[in-house]
Amino acid sequence: MLTRITGGEIIDPANGRAGIGDVWIEDEKIVDPPQSGQADRVFDASGCILMAGAIDIHSHIGGGNVNTARLLLPEQHKAHLPRPDATPLSNAGWSTFQTGCLYAKMGFTTVIEPAMPPGSALHTHLELADIPIIDKGALAILGNDDFLLSMIRDNASSQAIDDYVTWTVASSRALGVKVINAGGSMAFRENVRTFSFDDVVPSYGITSRQIVKTLQASVNRLGIPHPLHVHCNNLGVPGAPDTAAETMSAAEGLPLHLAHLQFYGYAKEGKRDFASAAAQLAHVVNTTPEVTIDVGQVMFGQTVTISSDEMRQFFARVSASPRKSVIYDWDGNGGGIVPYRYRPDYYGAVQWAIGLELFLLIDDPWRVFFTTDHPNGAPFTAYPELFELLMSRDRRAEVIAELPRSAMKHSTLPTLAREYTFEEIAIMTRAAPARLLGFADRGHLGAGALADVAVYRRDASIAKMLGSAALVFKNGDLVVKDGEITHYRWGKALRVNPPVEATMKRRLDEYHQSRYGLSLDWFDFPDSAIHREQPFGEVPCRT
Amino acid sequence: MAVAWIGNREASLEQAVEQAASLLKASRCPVFTLDTDIHGTRAAIALAEQVGGAYDVAGGEVMARETALYTDKGGIFADASETRRRADVIVVVGSLPDYAWPLIAELAETVPDLSPSNIRRFFVIGDVDNLPPNSGTATNLSCGSSGLGATLAALRAKFAKRKTAAPVENFDQFAAALAESRFPVFLFSGKGCDLLEMEMLQGLVSDLNLKSRASALHLPASESGWGSMFASGWMTGFPPRTGFGSGHPEYDRWRFDVARMIEAGEADVHVWVAGRPDAPAPSHAGPSLIALAKTPEAVPGAAVTIAVGTPGIDHDAVVFTYRTGTFRTVDATEPSEAPAAASILRSIAEVITPGVPLPC
Ligand SMILES: [Zn+2]
Repeated sequence: MLTRITGGEIIDPANGRAGIGDVWIEDEKIVDPPQSGQADRVFDASGCILMAGAIDIHSHIGGGNVNTARLLLPEQHKAHLPRPDATPLSNAGWSTFQTGCLYAKMGFTTVIEPAMPPGSALHTHLELADIPIIDKGALAILGNDDFLLSMIRDNASSQAIDDYVTWTVASSRALGVKVINAGGSMAFRENVRTFSFDDVVPSYGITSRQIVKTLQASVNRLGIPHPLHVHCNNLGVPGAPDTAAETMSAAEGLPLHLAHLQFYGYAKEGKRDFASAAAQLAHVVNTTPEVTIDVGQVMFGQTVTISSDEMRQFFARVSASPRKSVIYDWDGNGGGIVPYRYRPDYYGAVQWAIGLELFLLIDDPWRVFFTTDHPNGAPFTAYPELFELLMSRDRRAEVIAELPRSAMKHSTLPTLAREYTFEEIAIMTRAAPARLLGFADRGHLGAGALADVAVYRRDASIAKMLGSAALVFKNGDLVVKDGEITHYRWGKALRVNPPVEATMKRRLDEYHQSRYGLSLDWFDFPDSAIHREQPFGEVPCRT
Repeated sequence: MAVAWIGNREASLEQAVEQAASLLKASRCPVFTLDTDIHGTRAAIALAEQVGGAYDVAGGEVMARETALYTDKGGIFADASETRRRADVIVVVGSLPDYAWPLIAELAETVPDLSPSNIRRFFVIGDVDNLPPNSGTATNLSCGSSGLGATLAALRAKFAKRKTAAPVENFDQFAAALAESRFPVFLFSGKGCDLLEMEMLQGLVSDLNLKSRASALHLPASESGWGSMFASGWMTGFPPRTGFGSGHPEYDRWRFDVARMIEAGEADVHVWVAGRPDAPAPSHAGPSLIALAKTPEAVPGAAVTIAVGTPGIDHDAVVFTYRTGTFRTVDATEPSEAPAAASILRSIAEVITPGVPLPC
């Protein structure tokens, strides 16, 4: 079937295209205008902006920790029940079904779950498979596992490290690798209560830095497109900017991605030992071209923090609101779920400002990514409002006027005049994520790309415009019309699939037999376990 | 061999599916009881939404209190792997599910490999009979004849250097073991603890964590129930005891207690999904029973019986296992033609709303 979307303003920075024009879709893909000029269906997009479907690189949408958060807070998702819908379970608050629908309505067509424990990968993928419409992907967590830390301690060869990373990524069907407070969970199990980049993990005698550097090098050697995704030590701690800066300077010319940089932006300065260090961090990012970051913007309101940084979540328990939390001493990273309310008080206002400063002070939209670290800084449903803050300095001024002046004194935000353009939004949420994750088939509107297209009707309110798309196509299938879901389709989980080395598999089987009393089969699964047609799609590694 | 019955009469699978669908269509208040694998659960919850029903797991009372520990308070939890690899002190708190016995035996036979301590000591709060005979010597901690909760409260008070009403037997031994311990783990289950006892235990674990590390291993009374709880969480946002009567999911552990709804005469159709051959069939006079069960004959009193396979025996399955604290796949050990519950549930849904497949 041939589809023509006509008369819209096309913003496709990956192909250098900007201006009124047509987009043609044949079945699943975007095609050049056919010679016949005859379409089977035509959509009038005059008065609209057309972009590729958006890609979210870091959003906690599924897996054991997310599910525990649901269990911990049944009262929370009662609050935002939308009206009944025609699509099954789409009005189930905070369900996988609603997640897919809400993302699609905003024109997002691919979302990455950034924290999959390899040991419970099947759980993560079962959840991802129940998220309708969009494509997904997940990053496998390494760096607090005995097998890797022992190898580093014992000076294992690069080949052995690579074989292990390969097995982990392949068996967990991951798109890449994430390290979370490298060594920190292991140290916390031995009752270490503060842990920085050059601190040593007890029993292993290796530093957090060594773990990060080992994984960064391995991911790079293996040609996994997405660079090592790092959640630094000292998240949320005043003084963390130094840790984040040290981590960035440790990139040493190889690609490295730092997650939710906002949470490391707290300078130990001012009367309250809490001030914005965003300008300092933005400078480091601007002068370290091999580094990319996502922001993890804080927005005011109730949320729940979900993290595999067990040490940090353990200490966050005291500020839980409501007063309950779960801490997991699980094999590997473990984690914690702590509900939290961001209030527009001094601290909340500084956090909110830091995120926006990072967006506005980092010059290159190809290296700063649009996230709230859903749901840690805010639920992803706050995206439309955040787009508006980035694109309108007037809107920022309105919010700033309501916040404590003392907080704004410790931030450069009130002085920043920059407004994001649609072109920059399209880079940050489409073209750059595709490049960062190794997707050639999306993030742009060139011929041959998947027909993931978002059409937004221009409106005085940016939040309204970008929050509720006029039309969304996923793989050429019309899935949203006038902000409403038209029907379900089932996307794929995107993964890399490097070949596993047989010797490593045998070694791991022996290890699991002796340490867990279980064969390696317990930690792997066939694709058929997912019960969807073609649950996975492959992204090639660099050769 | 017969695979379906309407009442006591053998029927074709199609007839039984039609009959189940028409009962559900006419129902004002259908309820579901689940004792099945993950895909059976997914299909059942999706069907419950379609017909505006409520669902619970078999043995819902015990799981409701295990769930309440999380919804009301939370806690600090270890998994079985970390327990095996790191715990140098094991405290068994109250009665544990039978499935946990091999784990306890294994813990007794091994020492933690990730801990600087290379021994494992055992303590028991409650009945020592909870330990299998080969699990080594365990020291009993008790507060005279008072129950688990009183002993846990007394331990908490002792560690906080507060006065206690009654002494805790062997406390000094326990205190000495904890002082040396790098990672003590308390094993508990909703089978042996009520909600207050589980909360008291978590209070103790939390106190211990002020200065050193300690954790608790939750061994759910029902593995299949806990697996269903997970699926329910991601599908609806809520644990079981959720109902769709108002068009969207609502969680209420009293209102949607399916056993209560049957007892009180609120439910008019009861869908029982059970793949285990030893699952006890419901016997109630009230609602029409649709039984999807591993059975060679009609379930007594059922309006419709459809024979389904046992997950992991007749067909491949995805199940929750306490052993890793997550899901695993189990290949069919005796593959058969017996259909999976999920496929029957989907067929019923297809009759109720043709052309609108369940999302699971
Ligand atoms: Zn995150």
